[in-house]
Amino acid sequence: MNDVAATDTYPAQMTRVTLYWVAVGLVLFPVLAILGLVMRTLQAGFFAATPPEWFYAVMTLHGLGMVGVWFVAGLAAMSFLLARYVRPSLTVSWIALGMTALGVVMLVAATLVGKLGVGWYFLYPLPFFSEGTWPDWATAALFGALAVLGVAWTVWSGDVLRAIAGRYRLSEALGWHYLSGRDGPDVPPIVIIATVSCIGVLAGLVAAVVILLLIGWEVLGGGTANDALLIKNLTFYFGHMLVNITMYFGVALVYEIMPAYTGRPWKTNTLVVLSWNTVLALVMFAYLHHLYMDFAQPRWLQVLGQLSSYLVSVPAAVVTIFSTLVLTYRSQMGWSLAPTLLYLGVMGWAIGGVAAVIDSTITVNQAFHNTLWVPAHFHTYYLMGVVLMILGGVYHLAVALTSEAENVKRSRVMAAHLVVGGYGLMLSFYLAGADAVPRRFAAYPMEVANGPLLAGISLVFIILFGGLGLYLWDTGRLCVRALRA
Amino acid sequence: MTTTVPLLLFLLSAAIIATVFAVVARSTARAGEVDYARANHLRKVFFVSLLVILAIFLGLTLPRLPYPAEAAVPEQIVNVVSRQFAFSLTEGPGPDSIETWERDFSPLAEVRTGTLVEFRVRTLDVNHAFAIYTPDGRLLAQTQAMPGYVNRLRVVFDEPGTYNVMCLEYCGLSHHAMRGVVEVVEEAQ
Ligand code: HEM
Ligand SMILES: [Cu+2]
Repeated sequence: MNDVAATDTYPAQMTRVTLYWVAVGLVLFPVLAILGLVMRTLQAGFFAATPPEWFYAVMTLHGLGMVGVWFVAGLAAMSFLLARYVRPSLTVSWIALGMTALGVVMLVAATLVGKLGVGWYFLYPLPFFSEGTWPDWATAALFGALAVLGVAWTVWSGDVLRAIAGRYRLSEALGWHYLSGRDGPDVPPIVIIATVSCIGVLAGLVAAVVILLLIGWEVLGGGTANDALLIKNLTFYFGHMLVNITMYFGVALVYEIMPAYTGRPWKTNTLVVLSWNTVLALVMFAYLHHLYMDFAQPRWLQVLGQLSSYLVSVPAAVVTIFSTLVLTYRSQMGWSLAPTLLYLGVMGWAIGGVAAVIDSTITVNQAFHNTLWVPAHFHTYYLMGVVLMILGGVYHLAVALTSEAENVKRSRVMAAHLVVGGYGLMLSFYLAGADAVPRRFAAYPMEVANGPLLAGISLVFIILFGGLGLYLWDTGRLCVRALRA
Repeated sequence: MTTTVPLLLFLLSAAIIATVFAVVARSTARAGEVDYARANHLRKVFFVSLLVILAIFLGLTLPRLPYPAEAAVPEQIVNVVSRQFAFSLTEGPGPDSIETWERDFSPLAEVRTGTLVEFRVRTLDVNHAFAIYTPDGRLLAQTQAMPGYVNRLRVVFDEPGTYNVMCLEYCGLSHHAMRGVVEVVEEAQ
């Protein structure tokens, strides 16, 4: 690694494939966000004649699309930074890109042409009970897309682990020598986070494979009906893992990039190691909070769900979030756009985390489960958390590649739009959730009086959030220039 | 369960977090050194307080799980059967297939105040959720309706009135229109 020859084309090639991933994100994000705007518009009661199957198809595409886009954008950005230390395969990245594009096309066809409305976690057996709303080919396309994406992302995450294993032993990559006090190499935090995350991805994708096999056996192999509780456990184990790991990709960017702006190093120490190993152990059980209202689930699993959901918040708060604050406090930070977005992202992660922990209390969940509180908290730590982290990371990359001077005043105005627009939208979700407005309603009935009102108010904030367009334009321009160079 | 407490708790926490982030951000106007020893002490305090807070909440909430306690015997049983896109609530067993739905279903069940009522919730097709809303629109209680399972939800109604039932697990095209009714009447003395 250290004797890289001047003719080495790896860095340039890595930049290229990363920029293509970034392009996917920058194009799909606004489109999917507009689908969000469409949903809120319909929920506000405008265009009331729209058939509900449109709402649910749009909801499915928005959810699957957003979860997918930020997963791949996060993994791509993290791989790019990781390439300072180890060498993920470029071929694998290109293949994953191609297969992801194929998966996206299949999902768009299934939802927008086939009107597939199964929701982003397609809870078994709903895909097979369309009541005539979507054709069988749309269901087939959904599972086909999941298989394609599953294979692509397994191989891609596996390759990141392979690259890490090329330089560190597994115990080193998890930082265990920091705990045992034995001799070992210095391991940057991003390597530890990448190791934990990619192990998590593989563990999650195993469940996805099992789901596909079980359902495939039932539908194609003539097996009997599956156990719905088992499949729900597997589905949320997989879904929760994917979503949580995406967060960690964003956090990896924060660890790696923030020090460049604060002028203070962020080194691995026992605390960092302890925190990420705890996360690896606990994140597997937190998903259980999605099944609190399944009274048939064994009670000890419910209690385990609340315990692990509570505890998994501790390393995040005490190590990552606290350290971000220490790193920043009285530092020489100039608050250009990249660190601003990273910092705001950590804040959104913290705020969304509090909302999540509150809802992971079983007695509270009785009142919040499947109300708008749920989209409220996950949009907070997604849109106001990991998305801002990744946008910050991408901006950092774009500026570094083109060394163009930033118009800081414009950046400030835009950041203000994101904060006011974003948190306004979040508040509309939280208040609705606390008022028992159900999530996933194409139209609110009379009994849910505040639903349309809050949806209407949120439109103003979503439009404000559109200040993001400025970011997309700027960053897109820089990326195109970097590609041409 | 009232949602005011968790909402206020959340808004308060969010305000504290935002304030801390703002203060730290502003501190960069006068750059200097951080006292790492002090920072680590503060981290310890934060760690311990967080654990204490979480332990308190665990202690307060875990003893109140909504799941049926085997010791208590329900005084009234309502069989809830769900399908795309309707609920049936009956004292008898209710419809056991889509074919017999029209014959056996009832959209409304009557229960008494002050009585331990057990709703035995099933589904004939996909997952639904059986959620009871109070006459003034609060979410009183809920449980999932899952293929192959019976989920038992126990409720004691304090106030008489018309309680709406809505579906809280997305189940397809008319999910938002799925309805049932629990009519709660004053217990006869
Ligand atoms: C301006 C940005 C966004 C807007 C306006 C928006 C809006 C919405 C709305 C209105 C819903 C439906 C809520 C309901 O009634 O259940 C929704 C659901 C959802 N959104 Fe977003 N959203 C945005 C960004 C994001 C981002 C960044 C993510 C990242 C993962 C995301 C992921 C999801 C998911 C997973 C669902 C659930 C879909 C389902 O229930 O199947 N959204 N969003
Ligand atoms: Cu339903």
